Amino acid sequence: MAAERVIFSKCKNEIINGISTQIACTAFSNYIFVVITQYGKMGTLISLTPNVTSSDISKPIFTTKVLLGNDEALTHVFAKNLVMFVSQEAGNKPVLLALALKDKRIESIRDMKEMIKSCQVW
Amino acid sequence: MEVAESANSLPECCEGAISMHNFSEKILEQVIHFHVMKMRECFFLWVGTTPVLDNLAVAMCSRFDSVPLSTLVLGDTSDTTSNCLAQRLAKKTGKQVFVSYNIPRIESNLTLLIENRIKKEMELLPDKF
Repeated sequence: MAAERVIFSKCKNEIINGISTQIACTAFSNYIFVVITQYGKMGTLISLTPNVTSSDISKPIFTTKVLLGNDEALTHVFAKNLVMFVSQEAGNKPVLLALALKDKRIESIRDMKEMIKSCQVW
Repeated sequence: MEVAESANSLPECCEGAISMHNFSEKILEQVIHFHVMKMRECFFLWVGTTPVLDNLAVAMCSRFDSVPLSTLVLGDTSDTTSNCLAQRLAKKTGKQVFVSYNIPRIESNLTLLIENRIKKEMELLPDKF
């Protein structure tokens, strides 16, 4: 049925701090789409865009924008913490992040980052 | 690069695990690709010929209206195709639905054929949506 695959994706299911956590990474040509959920739904949608006008290309400035859901300061912090490295590793591609977290401890965030690394599609 | 057929390799016990499903179909001389990411309470559907994500619409049913609510969270708001498709799929499934429809509007008939193809796949493999 599928002649060729155009969309590359990986997903993972792990227990972090006793909570079932799912991660999915999908590569599009203009976005890397990362889903992190502990509720079985998308939750808050955030876009993370590297600033292309920045003169120093090696260290871009990232802009986070909440596209859907609760726009609070912590959401931006989580987004930058979790997927800034994805954008950098993918050659400064924008990242679309779907975040639905029960557990917001920094240790858990670190574990989630490791999970994202193991689902590399970029 | 290793391509993850995650939906098939994950054990059944992983409750709430995300499942991926890809399929393609030649419609009106064009190969259209479909990608579905299923979660427990919602799903994400991408449709396109090349792997771009130009728009994203979300729709969900509401207690106050028979027509599902929908909004475009990414992309050109003048193109309502993603919105309309998300609304119809939300109505059909009762889930929250995310749709990214990345086919240029040249032939309006194509949209209808693509929608029918999605509905056919939903009937064949309902557990993938």
